[in-house]
Amino acid sequence: MSHGLRIAVIVLLQTLALAAMIALKQRTLDTGTPIVLETQPIDPRSLFSGDYVRLNYAISTLRLDQPGSDQDFKPHDRAYVVLKPGDPYWQPVSVHHQMPALAPGQVAIRGEVQYAGDSLWNQETRTSEKVRNLRLRYGIESYYVPEGAGRALERPAAGEKISLRVAVDRAGAAGIKAVLVNGRERYVETLW
Amino acid sequence: MRDSKFIRRLQQELPVWAERGWVRPEHQQDILAYAATQSGGGTSHLTLALGVMGAILLGSGVITFFAANWGAMTKLAKLAVLFGGMWAAYAGSGLLMARGSQMVGHAVLLLAVILFGANIALVAQIYHIDSHYPDGVLTWSLGALLAGWLMSSQPALAAGLLLGILWTGMEGFGFGRGIHWPFLLLWTAFLVPVLRHRWRIALHFALVGLLFWSWETFWQAVMRGQGRLLAQVVELFLLSYLALFLIGKLMALRPDAEALSSVVQRYASFAVLACFYVLTFPGLRRWGLGHAGAEKALDGEPALWLMGNFLALAVVAGLAWLHHRSAPAEERPPHFVAGQALLAAVAALLAVNLFAPPAWGGALALLFNLAYFASVVWLVYSGLHTGNRSLVNQAFGFFALWVLARYFDTFWTLFDRSFFFMGGGLLLLLGGYFLERQRRRLNQEILLRGEGGK
Repeated sequence: MSHGLRIAVIVLLQTLALAAMIALKQRTLDTGTPIVLETQPIDPRSLFSGDYVRLNYAISTLRLDQPGSDQDFKPHDRAYVVLKPGDPYWQPVSVHHQMPALAPGQVAIRGEVQYAGDSLWNQETRTSEKVRNLRLRYGIESYYVPEGAGRALERPAAGEKISLRVAVDRAGAAGIKAVLVNGRERYVETLW
Repeated sequence: MRDSKFIRRLQQELPVWAERGWVRPEHQQDILAYAATQSGGGTSHLTLALGVMGAILLGSGVITFFAANWGAMTKLAKLAVLFGGMWAAYAGSGLLMARGSQMVGHAVLLLAVILFGANIALVAQIYHIDSHYPDGVLTWSLGALLAGWLMSSQPALAAGLLLGILWTGMEGFGFGRGIHWPFLLLWTAFLVPVLRHRWRIALHFALVGLLFWSWETFWQAVMRGQGRLLAQVVELFLLSYLALFLIGKLMALRPDAEALSSVVQRYASFAVLACFYVLTFPGLRRWGLGHAGAEKALDGEPALWLMGNFLALAVVAGLAWLHHRSAPAEERPPHFVAGQALLAAVAALLAVNLFAPPAWGGALALLFNLAYFASVVWLVYSGLHTGNRSLVNQAFGFFALWVLARYFDTFWTLFDRSFFFMGGGLLLLLGGYFLERQRRRLNQEILLRGEGGK
């Protein structure tokens, strides 16, 4: 095989690997069901390019006392969280090891268990509750924004509420479609 | 610079050697001509080293330049820059190699591999891909493997091995998912081109990677918290590295593999002694016992480790037999025969250790200490006979470590603390002085024989 052909094979395979990253994400955004999730942006960091916001969703920590939820989760397990439409945010219904059968209008988002515990801190009563709970990661916890915009998302002005429009495909994979401020699009994701 | 000095010195020395009858006068010019043709290696390696440093600097500069202007660019422009830069670097390296500028070509290929990794991170950033990040490092490592393999590039392959080590470190320590077996698959894929091209530097990286993975696996066993499993894991590693040491010995007999044999033996003997050292601790079988959930987590695993140990014992026996047959009885030096006897004794001890109840821990540890001491003595003996200074140095290092460990084990509870520390201090000062003198004496002896470092 000549040098030129070898280089061509390397370039082709590496380009395909990079293109696959884009294509898989775009497929989720194009074909997935759009849902709106309540979020609390935390800890913006200045990465080497632009600002980078960590997103903490209301469904990032889940109680397992909902009827029908599986219980025996441990860290690094895969979990499917069934969500139903709410006003304005989608709400968790149950948590499962396998993709469950869904009722009309529901979606299941796939996550990875980071932590499984038996007690949960209740902010309202300021006491620790004995309840089985999970900390989950869905792969939509990072959002890169233009330089300087991260701080504005972390500390919204009085009366501003940040939420995310997320696409969830049939396999449970999720991707961020838009960042919403008071329900209006602030940042929208496009292919180009 | 060093080469030209050598040639000047040779020019001065050769007439003296010819006068004394060590070389024939008519061969002086041939020797000088040969030395001159060999001196180019230093320069080309300097070119490669400078080229690699340049590639890293250029790669970093390109990334930081675009990072500073990232916000002002559209997605399409960003992708054009990322893909265009990578394609240009690959095209440049191919062009340079085709025109005979091998060293610079390899350096530019390394730059292309660096850009591939940067592209993985930046595409993930542009499209908000927040997945399991060690997967990105694995993809990068595979890309480097592909480039190193297809372009026969040692720098690219070495970079890929470093990324593989980073990957297993992230998976093992960062995510704590248990023993990271997939690393061995990746490592084997890297090993094929390393052996095919007999790349010594890449072999160092590969063996460092294997040692790192072994250490990581040992810690996973410690975290799982069961002493019996830990003993089996360490024993399996000991046998595996013993097998690797024997492979190194066999490689020394083959002209096509001889160049790599000393590197293999060096890392394998280091790992064997490290495993042996762990087994000399009487409390090994009690380490971690009682950790919550440990028994449940290990369901089915001890049987697998046991089978692995038997398999490794069989492999060691097979390799020892091949090594035994490699020299006729009358040509076997004393260290060869002593080594075979020691190997048989160690194998028997390891086999007994697999089935011994925890109550035998103390007696077995005593035997392991004896075997460890015998191995250290044999390594010095073997190193002296084969002219391998690294084996002698390792043996002295591990002997010092062993003396310290036994001093702590034995006297920590027996002595008053002040006597303990005074005794330890004296032991370090006097023992260190004595060992260093002996080590230097033996190294000098090897050098005088003219076989140093082989």
